[in-house]
Amino acid sequence: MSYKKALLIDCSEAAFCCDKAQYKEASVADKLKMLLHLIYCKKCKKYSEKNTKLTELINQSEIKTCTEEEKKAWREKIENEITNQ
Amino acid sequence: MSINLIDPNKWVDKYSDYLFNYTIVRVNDRELAHDLISETFLAGLKSMKNFKGEATERTWLISILKRKIIDHYRKSNSRKGRAEIKIQYSDDSNEGDWLEENAPDVLDKTAEDVMENEELGIAILDCMQHLTEKQAKIFKMKTIDGFDTEAICNEFNITPSNLWVIIHRARTTLAQCLEKNWF
Repeated sequence: MSYKKALLIDCSEAAFCCDKAQYKEASVADKLKMLLHLIYCKKCKKYSEKNTKLTELINQSEIKTCTEEEKKAWREKIENEITNQ
Repeated sequence: MSINLIDPNKWVDKYSDYLFNYTIVRVNDRELAHDLISETFLAGLKSMKNFKGEATERTWLISILKRKIIDHYRKSNSRKGRAEIKIQYSDDSNEGDWLEENAPDVLDKTAEDVMENEELGIAILDCMQHLTEKQAKIFKMKTIDGFDTEAICNEFNITPSNLWVIIHRARTTLAQCLEKNWF
């Protein structure tokens, strides 16, 4: 029965595989186990759909982040201004 | 109604990404966006006493930023028409004006696409307000900046499984928040 243990995973592990898959860090085995779990678990299927959609939206959105240098420059400006007040 | 307080020392950590994304789609120049946000912070500090606490700090900063962006376009408009030279780029054989350049680029994004993406970006950043500071920081590093799991773990001194728990919580919160508007 060990193959069953290896193939059947619980919801938390399925969610973990699903999260990893969003960053292309899931192995083939991870994906396989997850897909198998999604066949019979509606809740995880729903989560998986939402999670994938979230990835798509983030990719579409073209969000940019500020670099640490940029943030540092702002922080310094604010601090200077406060001490000069 | 609760009164919103103001704390300039937290401005950069809390709002800089939001303000930056708001600005960059409007001026399309990283350096300029940086300067406009600097001016916004300084103007905010100067007029802090006028902050009545009716709006959130972020809304208030955005309203200052909007002014700064409009002022920027006013200034650049008044400079317009002085000496405008259009350069047709040409190479050694002196050939410019390719026919292709005159045709519309189908792959080019329409203004509507850009606007929708911008709103989406702001909506996502809006939802990040529901995350804790640490969650938001790690989520952004992993998802937007694409850092390695290992690099993030080293920086925050956490294990990979800690990281994935944080990512999972962040994703669940974000999906829930975005579901209302975008799913």
